[in-house]
Amino acid sequence: MGTLTGTLPLPAFGSRVAVKTRVDYQNSQEGALVRRAQSGDEAAFREIVEHYQSKVFSIIHGIVRQRNDVEDIAQQVFAKVYFSIRNFDFRSSLITWIYKITVNECFDYLRKKKVRKLVYESDLSEDEVRRVENTEPSVDRQAPADETLARRDYVLKLLSRVSEEERTLLLLKEVEGRSVEELAQMTGMNENTIKVKLFRARQKLVKAAQRLDRAPGLVAG
Amino acid sequence: MHQVILDRLEEYLSGSPSSREFTTHLESCEECRAEVQEMKELSGALSALRAPEEITPSLGFYAQVARRVEAQRPRSPWSWVWLEPAFGKRVAFASLMSLVVLGSYLITRETEYSAGPPRPEAIMAQQAPADNPDMILATLASYEP
Repeated sequence: MGTLTGTLPLPAFGSRVAVKTRVDYQNSQEGALVRRAQSGDEAAFREIVEHYQSKVFSIIHGIVRQRNDVEDIAQQVFAKVYFSIRNFDFRSSLITWIYKITVNECFDYLRKKKVRKLVYESDLSEDEVRRVENTEPSVDRQAPADETLARRDYVLKLLSRVSEEERTLLLLKEVEGRSVEELAQMTGMNENTIKVKLFRARQKLVKAAQRLDRAPGLVAG
Repeated sequence: MHQVILDRLEEYLSGSPSSREFTTHLESCEECRAEVQEMKELSGALSALRAPEEITPSLGFYAQVARRVEAQRPRSPWSWVWLEPAFGKRVAFASLMSLVVLGSYLITRETEYSAGPPRPEAIMAQQAPADNPDMILATLASYEP
């Protein structure tokens, strides 16, 4: 299996000639807004927050599912946007950039939460750990009762095994329902490049899933 | 995986109608079929990350973001003096007291010097024993008022 994966040609992906769809974000209305924010215009930053806050809330809620923490993570996302907007280089759309920050923040949150839980549990006896696990929400358990939550935990484990870029592309494609053409426009990359990156990301997910199914304890987390 | 599958994989996973070439190859190549099947299952699993419902941000959300930005804004080492008025007052008081002590010390020193240089007899008494007349003469010869 995977005979061609190692020698996948990057620009010439198959028989179809992909159209390079690069959008000039710098000279768009959004570009003007970003430039104002980059020069320290608080009103422009406020406009960005108010325009994208619902989308950010939705992304976070989908990944984290802890309703109480959604707003806190969203605040942190926009604080990061504020402090790094000067580094935004217009190679992608603003929402793609914010999407990436949001997804990274969610995975950071999940990782910190897991570490906190491990530290907390290391101070407890086995009986106490068992008691705590039985009272925690099902989203944190090893084997959640609800099948959807179990599937979500499984997918999050797999996604933690791919790079930030691959994770963002997979989520934009599978969760947001973006087409390859849209992804090319949003990221400023060639359609063929998007296809190759998605394919490699999917292969990594398959391999991670195989390892996880074989030895859950080794891959989990 | 073969090229014909690679070309059309994303369309297939998105649910678009597959080309004849794609389906024919998938039927004949067990290797590709198995891999595509796994990718399709994982593609479906990713949909579990869609938000189950819409959450509306609170009305004061921007104000909370602004507060967080202020809290995380990098500050100069001296800014806490102005941001903590009580501490700033203590620092100002301590500086004033140091000035007063230093000033008093300098004034005292000035008073000591204002008495003028010591007389030759005093120097002779300090530097040479009284029973050495040569030393007294040498000291007197080198003395400059």
